[in-house]
Amino acid sequence: MKSVTGNDLVVIGGGPAGIAAAATASSLGLRVALIDERITLGGQIFKRVGPGFDLRERKSLGKDYARGSDLIDEIDRPNVTLLTSTTVLTIEDGKVITSHPEEGIRALDYRFLIIAPGAYDRPVAFPGWTLPGVMTAGAVQTMVKTQRISPGKRVFFAGSGPLALAFSAQLIGLGAPVFKVIESAPFPSPANALRLLSRIGGNLDLIRDAAKYRSVLFKARVPFKYGRIIVKAEGKGRLEYVTHAKADREWNPIPGTEVREACDALCVGYGFFPSHELFRLVDCAFEYDENRGGFSVLRDEWGATSVDSVFAVGDGTGVTGSYSAVAQGRLAGLQIASRLKKITEEERDSAAKPYARELRARNRFQSALNKMFDVGAGIYRLADRKTVICRCESVTRGAIDPIIDSTDDVSVVKGISRAGMGLCQGRNCQRHIAAMIADRHQKPISSVSFQTPRFPVKPVEIGAIADDSIREEKYFIT
Amino acid sequence: MSEFLVGYLSNQSNHEDPPRECDVLVIGGGLLGTSLAYYLAKEGTDVTLIEREEINREASGTNAGSFHFQIALHQLTPNMTDSEKDRLASEVRLQVDAAKLWDNLEQELDADLGVHFDGGIMVAETEEEMRVLRDKDEIEKSAGLESHILTGDEMRAFAPYLAPDLAGISFCPREGHANPLLVGPTYAYRAAERGVRFRTDCGAESIEVLTGEKHRFKVTTNKGVIKANRVVNAAGAWTAELAAQLGLKLPMGLSGLHVNVTEPREYFLKSMVQHIGRRLTLKQTHNNTFIIGGGWPSRPEPYPKRFSNIWNSASGNLAVALRVLPMLKDVKLIRTWSGVWAYTLDFKPILGESERIPGYHVAMVPTGFTLGPMVAQMLSEYMTAPKGSIKLPEEFRVDREVA
Repeated sequence: MKSVTGNDLVVIGGGPAGIAAAATASSLGLRVALIDERITLGGQIFKRVGPGFDLRERKSLGKDYARGSDLIDEIDRPNVTLLTSTTVLTIEDGKVITSHPEEGIRALDYRFLIIAPGAYDRPVAFPGWTLPGVMTAGAVQTMVKTQRISPGKRVFFAGSGPLALAFSAQLIGLGAPVFKVIESAPFPSPANALRLLSRIGGNLDLIRDAAKYRSVLFKARVPFKYGRIIVKAEGKGRLEYVTHAKADREWNPIPGTEVREACDALCVGYGFFPSHELFRLVDCAFEYDENRGGFSVLRDEWGATSVDSVFAVGDGTGVTGSYSAVAQGRLAGLQIASRLKKITEEERDSAAKPYARELRARNRFQSALNKMFDVGAGIYRLADRKTVICRCESVTRGAIDPIIDSTDDVSVVKGISRAGMGLCQGRNCQRHIAAMIADRHQKPISSVSFQTPRFPVKPVEIGAIADDSIREEKYFIT
Repeated sequence: MSEFLVGYLSNQSNHEDPPRECDVLVIGGGLLGTSLAYYLAKEGTDVTLIEREEINREASGTNAGSFHFQIALHQLTPNMTDSEKDRLASEVRLQVDAAKLWDNLEQELDADLGVHFDGGIMVAETEEEMRVLRDKDEIEKSAGLESHILTGDEMRAFAPYLAPDLAGISFCPREGHANPLLVGPTYAYRAAERGVRFRTDCGAESIEVLTGEKHRFKVTTNKGVIKANRVVNAAGAWTAELAAQLGLKLPMGLSGLHVNVTEPREYFLKSMVQHIGRRLTLKQTHNNTFIIGGGWPSRPEPYPKRFSNIWNSASGNLAVALRVLPMLKDVKLIRTWSGVWAYTLDFKPILGESERIPGYHVAMVPTGFTLGPMVAQMLSEYMTAPKGSIKLPEEFRVDREVA
């Protein structure tokens, strides 16, 4: 195992929050190592085009691409070490242990650690969700952003929240033939709309964006229907039809309102889950907020977690969007620079002002938005008996239900059914199972406990981590 | 396969308050506790079992499910005296008896427990290890455990997947495995059918010895007080801690064990593979994943946290695995876990009734998965026979002192 030593700060995650943190901290003289799993920086929102693409007209890629480019330019400094294509496997004894296809295993020490792992698409299990042609919004976005590939010839978009509008408009803008968008939440009530309007300060750009997205859909004559939810996907070997229905307040489909339509791609975007594996591994404290994606790490105004020297920023701490993420990253960078005496507390506070102000404005607006798109429990009730809940181990709802009838313990369900034991390490099914338990036993989902966190946080080849220089205590002395 | 587990779990009375009195109170819902409850109930004994969490939760459900009938490696040395060899042979005989119990257990409990006897391979890398392997083979044969030594082309033909340059292997056809997630709960299910009261989320907080009362023991739990004529401490890793409440000092230690699990690959490895000189157990499960362990440490954490995994244990353990099975190089590690392993300082079981505190029993055995059901059966026979008619082996004594 190689060592990368002398880091004042290690940042895990090269999305908006992580890059902003690295930019601020490095501008104040800290030695920063920035780790990202992908070949290029940017995360999901600032994702770069794939390698080999010749970028002639940067403007055509929109505002977020330009925001990302500016931010990435900021970390072009000798005191920043970039570790791309690098996967974090675990954090142990003050070291971040990573793997890289050529460099192998590297251990990074740190005085401070910022974890900015981002979020992943909320998996929604409904009949047919594992058919080829059914994709999550994030996956489609990656295809379109990095490779310029349209997911299909006739694309149906089902989802909720600001992203349902933004993603579908983006897809259309990039040439993907979206023909209909459904949003589970009802048409905004006057009360909700008023609440949103009252918090518009500092968020005009978002309102303008939303209006622009709406007009993209309008111009392309793509209908946007409120209060409808995906019910099932069908097809022989691949997606051919989707069925959607009117949703009640809790997002349960209302029988008799089903509509079946032909399509070859279904893009599913019902929000995100914070990626909290690393926070759990270092034993951070959590709170629960379904609208921010469930378990969200507890943090102070600067992003410090309950664990000494560990900070949390960005959507991995609870989904609030890229503007908040950047502000959070800046604030954490400032606080760490001040803790390392690179700046005084006064300098920190004065530099922090605009970011703190922005964060407050964004959070106010975001919570109003969340109210509008309150996630309904019906999202977890769409699966039928034959629907696969755990894709890796092919475990159906029919196999899980009788176990849940007799236990409210996720580990027991896992042990008996094998749900959550596969290659995705439970990312796709564990929350769903927690929701099923909560539903069956009439208790809040927040009271259903996690599995014990264990490394590796991502699967890794045995050959990469085996180290013959590590010797055990011998059984017998020769 | 899960019907017994679901059946056990859905037993609503598990969560009720415990009875106020009983004849035998078993503390601990691991494999030893559940199997003991079963054997006692089969003889008509009135048994209550309390478990502070859920049954089969700790080592009983987190071990790799292997039967270790061959001599435990930590007992071997390169130059063993005849008396050492005799002592080991007597242990092997105990293991041969355990193998017989496992032979019949699925029939006994009328359930699929995933029991398979696919044999065990022990590899030797060096000539010195090879000498120990031959000694071991000789002791095992003398104790009635079938074993074969293979080297060179014979070894390569028998196990073509092993590194071709190993010095040699021994093959024990009797070894095998069962599903650790099924065995304890199935015992519990069958015991409950015979009237054992199981109470989960019910932990023993204190134990007192009573005098001049109908019952000898008063056990205070988080769900109320239970009075019992006899108590069995089957608290697994926490056995010594519990016994210390009554001033008993058990010769025990604890250690955390690291286990690796990989993604599935096409099934080819029927037998478990171990290394005679290094810490390795390696097998392919019926889900086609590989489970790799063998005694690498994990980090102790205070209860109720689970022991945490140590990176170097994964790195070192997997390096040994690759040395023996190079083809695993590109197989992905997807999970690690850690179980608590309780051992005795002399590696003998602690089994029986305390002489200092009559009525107080202890059931604790290292290699608990392999030997647990058998020692539970032995203790049950002792407890249900007329007083003094059955003696448990002297070296298992609860009150013994170990240097």
